[in-house]
Amino acid sequence: MTHRKNLLKAALLFNLLIFLAAAWIQAADKNSQPVHVTIGTILAGNQNDEFDARLKGMEKQLKVMKYRSYRWLKEESQDVAWGGNGVFEIPGGRSLSVAPQEIRNNRIALKVRLTEGQKPIIDTTVRIPNKGNFILGGPPHEGGALVLSISASAQ
Amino acid sequence: MKHCDDIREFLGAWLDGELDPSEAEAVRLHVADCPACAEERRQLEKLQVAMKSVFSTEGERIAFEPFWHGVRSRIERNRPWHAELIEWLRSALEAPRLVWAVPAMIVVLIVALSLNSIWPSLKWWGQRNNYVAVESIDAHGRNVALLREDDTKTTVIWLYQNPEGENDTSEEPAQSGPTF
Repeated sequence: MTHRKNLLKAALLFNLLIFLAAAWIQAADKNSQPVHVTIGTILAGNQNDEFDARLKGMEKQLKVMKYRSYRWLKEESQDVAWGGNGVFEIPGGRSLSVAPQEIRNNRIALKVRLTEGQKPIIDTTVRIPNKGNFILGGPPHEGGALVLSISASAQ
Repeated sequence: MKHCDDIREFLGAWLDGELDPSEAEAVRLHVADCPACAEERRQLEKLQVAMKSVFSTEGERIAFEPFWHGVRSRIERNRPWHAELIEWLRSALEAPRLVWAVPAMIVVLIVALSLNSIWPSLKWWGQRNNYVAVESIDAHGRNVALLREDDTKTTVIWLYQNPEGENDTSEEPAQSGPTF
């Protein structure tokens, strides 16, 4: 009887340790790897029907907005730590700040803030699929509108 | 424990101090009042003294080391590692089922929680679509539209110009907004 009690205690202790170790490893792994954030900047307009060949990969996504022309302006990537803040320069004296908050169910929570000079334009919190993207658009630029493709990828 | 026969069964254990306090007290009280059991006690004590003297004198002459060596070698020869493992497994499997139900549940939980880390592309019931979930938007007084498109699973947050141009210092108004 004593043998069984000892066995029960040992089994429970062993499994508790395994559970704690697994949770610790998962948490440590999640927190140690930065998030790869990429901002693609595109100019959408209606002056002509030009479609930049460099945007071929996201043509279907862009065509959702029904502009006639799309021109690739720039792309910038940064590795941003969890809880950190990546700042990206956007044409027109604007800047975009992206702060990864957490990952849950393979979805990354991002706090995104677009400013023009010191003035905030938009603050939003989104959850995007890991390696997925969303589009933030509308700020006027060179007679058209800026379209920002914001994507994030975590290990 | 009122009968002498019952008491005598416990006399040896009592003299060796192996009874719990209540039993020891019952035996002590009986022996104090019962001449026959008191005599039995004296006989046992004499026997113990005699055995102790025999062991202490004769035991020194016995060579225990070769004896223990033989026992140890027989144990090691007859119980290889796999036999011990099998015995351990047998005893473990005979344990109550709950012992295994708890770790099984823990393992299932760990696997379920780690599934996305191990296999990020795996879609499961908790992840029904690829849409972006917008938790909050503050456009600081500007008009904003949220569009979700099914075919490409695209989420668009679109800022509109204020018609009066209030709170907007941009000198480059867009020609027109998108029609979506």
